[in-house]
Amino acid sequence: MVNSPKIEIRNLYKIFGSDPKTALEKVKAGMGKEALLNDTGHVLGLQNISIDIHESAITVVMGLSGSGKSTLIRHINRLIEPTDGQVLIDGEDALLLDQDELRDKRRTDMSMVFQKFALLPHRTVLDNSALPLEVRGVSKSERHAEAQVWINRVGLGGFEKHYPYQLSGGMQQRVGLARALTSNSDIMLMDEAFSALDPLIRSDMQRLLLELHVELKKTIIFITHDLDEALRLADHLVILKDGAVVQQGDPQSILLTPSDPYIEAFVSDINRARVLRVRSVMTPMDKKSKYAGDVSPSDTLESLIARSEGDTSSKFRVLDGEEPIGQIDMQDLVKALVPRVTEAGQQHL
Amino acid sequence: MAFYDGLFNAFGLREWCDASAGSAKMTMASLLAKTNPDAADDGPLFPFPSMDELYKACPSFPQSREFTAGVEEAFLNAKDVLKTVLDPLTQPLSWLLEGALFIFLAAPWWIVVPLILMFVWYVCRSVAVTTFVTVSFAFLAFIDHLDAALQTLAIIAVCTGICIILGVPVGIAMAKSNRFQRSLLPLLDLLQTLPTFVYLIPLIFLFSVTEPKLYGIAIIVYAIVPVIRLTDLGIRLVDQDVVEAANAFGMSSRQKLFGIELPLALPNIMAGVNQTIMMSLAMVVIASLVSAPGLGVLVLRGIRNLELGVGLIAGLGIVLLAVILDRVSKAAIARVSSDQTFK
Repeated sequence: MVNSPKIEIRNLYKIFGSDPKTALEKVKAGMGKEALLNDTGHVLGLQNISIDIHESAITVVMGLSGSGKSTLIRHINRLIEPTDGQVLIDGEDALLLDQDELRDKRRTDMSMVFQKFALLPHRTVLDNSALPLEVRGVSKSERHAEAQVWINRVGLGGFEKHYPYQLSGGMQQRVGLARALTSNSDIMLMDEAFSALDPLIRSDMQRLLLELHVELKKTIIFITHDLDEALRLADHLVILKDGAVVQQGDPQSILLTPSDPYIEAFVSDINRARVLRVRSVMTPMDKKSKYAGDVSPSDTLESLIARSEGDTSSKFRVLDGEEPIGQIDMQDLVKALVPRVTEAGQQHL
Repeated sequence: MAFYDGLFNAFGLREWCDASAGSAKMTMASLLAKTNPDAADDGPLFPFPSMDELYKACPSFPQSREFTAGVEEAFLNAKDVLKTVLDPLTQPLSWLLEGALFIFLAAPWWIVVPLILMFVWYVCRSVAVTTFVTVSFAFLAFIDHLDAALQTLAIIAVCTGICIILGVPVGIAMAKSNRFQRSLLPLLDLLQTLPTFVYLIPLIFLFSVTEPKLYGIAIIVYAIVPVIRLTDLGIRLVDQDVVEAANAFGMSSRQKLFGIELPLALPNIMAGVNQTIMMSLAMVVIASLVSAPGLGVLVLRGIRNLELGVGLIAGLGIVLLAVILDRVSKAAIARVSSDQTFK
């Protein structure tokens, strides 16, 4: 199999209202979100979304509130039914599943982590984490043993007998994570999972998620409104605005070549030195240059600035393992740090 | 002569009207008018076109007392059918009530009272409440009202139990279906506002006054409303985020109901049960009119024979029972709620 995507979303539309089919025709004929709302009272949730979500990668969907990102993630496990389009999971159309098949799919193939944690308040941490297995009918001792492993893994060992209300927000979301992991599904849907946490805890949780990802290689779809978080986690970044995809691709390339004034405005506040990596800025080798040192393509520009001690005239050789693959000129690096903002982008600032 | 004569003449109905003149039953008013023709009262200048007023102008028109008689007749006609259906259906209620009354009275006090106290301790785990109940029972026993109080308690226990068994499933169905909720709400409103004595009238015709199910049904119909309403409310108030999570992990409707919705709605359902108990108590006193035993009988005796002391002491006993039932069920609610979150 030639690396076909784990989940393919094809031309997905969602319209909220009493008669979405008629409204859909108008949208396909080119009516915009506001015109639709004024003329028919229907809300355009998603329009013509097509995304490939690859196996074992973290796909981050980013957008401001109201951009439809939470609606989008709920289409993958069909908590929301689409108006039109396809969602293929492992090549199979999830929209054709009947209620029983859908339930089985939710039980075994996907798990979800929620912004507001959504733990069962009347159950202990252990019982909450064991929920996915309980739903499948696994015996108590077996599911508790499995849940215990993941509770320990997310750093909550010793809290099994606590109730959710006895835990802080960060700890509650660790339970949410443990619950998703206990289900042992390939796909993890994370709906603004860390948005309700304060910055330090959030950064801890991001680190935990990245560690777990390296270890478990799950297919993760992560929703966020925070660009820093998106850039830190994303293998593939999708930016939504008003229910439509504005730009998607490698986060580094989005940062360097934003396709839209909206995104320019978005990315201009970012600490680019910390996010951009050498491989995004490097140029082909020219034989004549003298190099001040060797760097790895995945080093951040920030670390390079520190190494060069601010000397913009120096150049570094980029080594991928032992093999030289390019060079990086400190002058290019400095240019890359300045965000490209067009006139139109200015207006969004 | 009468105010609306012209109306019937205008429609050409005079002949039809007079066809039955004189055949109708005489009313008290017309009898009085006959004996004393001078005092004949022409009534107000512009009377409302009521049935009686139209009858004056047209003897073929039915009087309002015929309407009342018609309702009665319709009910009496339906009575036999209703009785054949309802009698066997409600017979277990009679057995339950008779059984409960028998057990509460036949067993010696030193078994019944400790059992009740153990139950109280089991549901509320509160030393203060259990002590209060103990002292109250001791007082009631001391003034020789224990048997009557136990009879009242037995009836309440049976009726509340049946209210819960019937009411919770109905409440769940209401929470699940908006249409069912809309169609049932007017009926619940009716049951809550209907004066308590009005319940008894059709029941007296349907069942013999000596049958316990007569007052059993009256109490259940009156007291079941809060448990239905609060079950419905409780399930609708369950945090939708949690329900969504349950869906996301593929829980079936059954798993959701028993694993999430009912446990989370429990404090509300218990509040409904508390209300149901209090309303049963209110009704059981009135039900003594139709042979329900217990403290209500003593109150009734106090009223009928003007035995002031008997009525007041029995009333005090009822108040004591009310406080006991309220405190115990509230303590149970508090215990259930504290097992959950306080959000």
